[in-house]
Amino acid sequence: MTPGGVLLEARHVTQRFRLPNGQVLEALRDVSLAVREHEVVALVGPSGCGKSTLLRLLAGLTRPADGQLLYRGQPLDGVLGAAAMVFQSFALLPWLTVAENVAMGLETRGVNGAARRDAVARAINLVGLDGFEQAYPKELSGGMKQRVGFARALAVAPEILLMDEPFGALDPLTAENLRSQAVSLWRDPATGVNTMVIVTHSVEEAVFLAGRIVVFGSNPGHVREELINQLPYPRKERSPQFEEMVDRLHAILTATLLPEAEPAPAAAPQRLPPFARVHVAEVTGLLDHLLTRPDGKGPVFELSEDLGVDYDRMSAVVRGAEQLGWVTTPGEIVQLTPAGREIMAMDDAARKDATRARLSRHPLFARILGMLKEGEGSVEDEEVLADLTIYFPFIPADSLFQTIIEWGRYAELLDHDADAARLTLLTS
Amino acid sequence: MALKPLRLPLALTPPPLRRLGLADVVMLCLLGGAIATVVAFAREFQAPFLQAVRIDLRPVALPKYTLFSLSRGVIALLISYVFALGFGWTAAKSRAAERLLLPLLDILQSIPVLGFLPGLVLGLMSLFPARNVGLELAAILMIFTAQAWNLALSFYNSLKSLPEPLRDASRMAGWGSSRTFWRLELPAAAQGLVWNGMLSMAGGWFFLMVNEAFRLGDRDYRLPGIGSYMSVALDRGNAQAVGLAIVAMVVMIVSVDQLLWRPLVVWVEKFRLDDTAGELVPGSWVLEFLRRARLPRRAAALQRRAYRTAVRATQPLQRPFRAARPLVVNGPRLAFGNPVARKLGVAALVAGLAVAAGLGVWHLSLLLRQLGRSDWATLASSAGLTFVRVMGAVALATAWALPAGVVIGRSPRLAQLMQPVIQVVASFPAPMLFPLVVIALERVGLRLGVGAVVLMVLSGQWYILFNVISAVAAIPEQLKEAVTVFRLSSLARWRSLYLPAAFPALATGWVTAAGGAWNGSIVAEYMEVGGALRTTRGLGSLISEATAHANFALLAGGITIMSVIVVGWNRLVWRPLGSWAQTRFQVGQ
Repeated sequence: MTPGGVLLEARHVTQRFRLPNGQVLEALRDVSLAVREHEVVALVGPSGCGKSTLLRLLAGLTRPADGQLLYRGQPLDGVLGAAAMVFQSFALLPWLTVAENVAMGLETRGVNGAARRDAVARAINLVGLDGFEQAYPKELSGGMKQRVGFARALAVAPEILLMDEPFGALDPLTAENLRSQAVSLWRDPATGVNTMVIVTHSVEEAVFLAGRIVVFGSNPGHVREELINQLPYPRKERSPQFEEMVDRLHAILTATLLPEAEPAPAAAPQRLPPFARVHVAEVTGLLDHLLTRPDGKGPVFELSEDLGVDYDRMSAVVRGAEQLGWVTTPGEIVQLTPAGREIMAMDDAARKDATRARLSRHPLFARILGMLKEGEGSVEDEEVLADLTIYFPFIPADSLFQTIIEWGRYAELLDHDADAARLTLLTS
Repeated sequence: MALKPLRLPLALTPPPLRRLGLADVVMLCLLGGAIATVVAFAREFQAPFLQAVRIDLRPVALPKYTLFSLSRGVIALLISYVFALGFGWTAAKSRAAERLLLPLLDILQSIPVLGFLPGLVLGLMSLFPARNVGLELAAILMIFTAQAWNLALSFYNSLKSLPEPLRDASRMAGWGSSRTFWRLELPAAAQGLVWNGMLSMAGGWFFLMVNEAFRLGDRDYRLPGIGSYMSVALDRGNAQAVGLAIVAMVVMIVSVDQLLWRPLVVWVEKFRLDDTAGELVPGSWVLEFLRRARLPRRAAALQRRAYRTAVRATQPLQRPFRAARPLVVNGPRLAFGNPVARKLGVAALVAGLAVAAGLGVWHLSLLLRQLGRSDWATLASSAGLTFVRVMGAVALATAWALPAGVVIGRSPRLAQLMQPVIQVVASFPAPMLFPLVVIALERVGLRLGVGAVVLMVLSGQWYILFNVISAVAAIPEQLKEAVTVFRLSSLARWRSLYLPAAFPALATGWVTAAGGAWNGSIVAEYMEVGGALRTTRGLGSLISEATAHANFALLAGGITIMSVIVVGWNRLVWRPLGSWAQTRFQVGQ
């Protein structure tokens, strides 16, 4: 199927949220996206890049702070009736049976009596759940629950199917099975679904499903790049073309997640690089793993697969190790540096000393150490938190603060008194 | 299978509030207004009302009185549910309402409502002088004030914690607000509403017993019910009737538990939102019976048929309703859709509240201005005395309930064994026993001045016991094993594990226990036992006496001081203590 005219469109959309602590978070800035008829669009990007926010905007579940949403050229008013949604957490009502859950959207669309029973039976049949009509969701496995989620969406014969990480909570086997089914549902004219928008974390999933892949960047969320995927359906995951597409997308994502080193911060003293919010053990774990590899290197997504860590988290850990000079990242390859090798050969005490030396040179730590010296060895948490909030408005200050404390304690640079809510300098 | 902790409803944890805000000030002003109104209300009452309650002490009459009491409790509970749904829904839906209603709830939950009882009874009697209507209303209103708040808070919490995907799913399905309410919001809140209803009912008996046996000086406001049966039996020294009344109360509590709450608790398991298999919920023989029986199913079919018939019968009536519908339903919607109209509406509401608050405070200040310096001195010293008693009661209750709770909580078997017993005993309304306790204490030479403390312990101890048991039962098994593996002495075990783990729950228990003790003080410091009036100096007796002698300025002063002390102490001491305990000693997470 070739994409037709524009069906659903976001024009220069900006969205902001007020966080519980009063901070305003910009989730999306000036995002434009047009979804055409007969198209499958995948939205990918690091967590917190606003891709789910965009999906909710497209569904009409929230209104944008700025910009416009159009369905067939008309401004969207309220929930988009032509769409149905599938959720990562399934969002089934536990007190309704499978059939009742599937019928949720029918009543209000005026489908009653026999017509409703037919629609429910058809939707249940499409996803292969016959026989489970009277079961309650809690009696079903995750994969079965998501089938109910799909059946509920299909029951209203939606023009557009919106999916928010629909396979994210399923085990890999079930996910693969449901993915292929999603494709056949879309290609089957009987379902009425002619367009799909899917938010996903998985690169393979995006390449498997989508004709167009939109890569988001974060802080604030924006569209970085679009990738057209013209592989013919049904797609074969082991084919060289498929793998090539996956590699291309990986490369784009890696560039998004691990931007090349910025020019020296000395030129612009107002900008501090944040410290990656990762644990000490995660970074040393990564170095340990790299040591076992030939030449001490490997591509990020391969590392993430081998270590069973999700891609986002892996990239964060790599960023953390890079900040301390223990790895470099030429392209999407992670390479252990001589300093990294050295530190892994040290004993515990020497490793702490080396970390301390590295940390004190990091601009963010240098700034906090400066604050501590000014405060004669101790500052209130509030003061540091306020500082972090100003420098990094897009990062939750609390969690960054926890990271700073953890690394500071590990390197025996500083300590934290939780009762007095003060950070203290350790002098040795 | 390990026993899951006794579950306590959310309502015992205070709503998330920041420091004293503008809304609190408004609320306190409105509270002042309420005090002024009740006092003004009471003032209307002039004619000395002498109602000699006629109570038939024969055992055959007892079931009738029991049913009277039961129906008062049930009616009040139904009203409380309706109120809670409206209140919780409004607070959860509107940010502006939330900012006003949460502090209001917090204050209403903590003020000792029994302080308002004398004024309220007098006032309602004046409205309906001839019949018992005023008394009945006062009774139901008092029970309502004991039941409504935790229900409202529970519903509000459920609405607020409803997972967003579920809301999104129902909106994508095109559900309107009424469908969403009945099919999403209410079912999701069902568990909390039932568990809290159970607690509320127990709290309601306390107030009902006080109400049914209420006397003021030489005036008798007793209502036919178990409370007055007990009180008359005591007056006449009829030991057999006293015993029977206690038995009747226990039978009522046990049957309400078995016939109403137990089936409900089992049934609402269906509405559990999380996927966990659920805590150990005792089965319900009644529900099993109902599920197995044919009759209910037949009844359901009949009911459906009756509903359809009713719908058909009302069809002629529906047309005018449908005609009025756009006006009734869409009118406000349109009005509030318009930003100007909405702003005007909000402004009018705020202005109305401000005027009400201002008027209330002004009236209250007029009343309080009548108080001389000596009056204030009396108020202060009485308040001090009662405060000491309340704190003494909390300390005494802790002294026995903390160790007992730890011992019960750490042994799953014991907890399972004791749970039903404790539940019944805790539901038993302490005021029914007050006169007996007072007589017993006098035998050993303790006057009411000290005896009142014992009565207050009776009013508040269970909250502490329950909270400690559930906290200790929730200690992860591995922590207990670690303590065993490292061979800590039993003293060290208590110091390093049980006491810290129980502390956050203890702190929450103290809030409720102190609240119960303050309420108890109204009854405990001024009571009539066996025809003789016993009083002891204190804020509780001062309020009762001021009402009896129609000293309305003093009454207003008494209620005001008590409310301010309780609310202030909650905010300045209990709340910070609770949140500190929470961050410092929370087990897990």
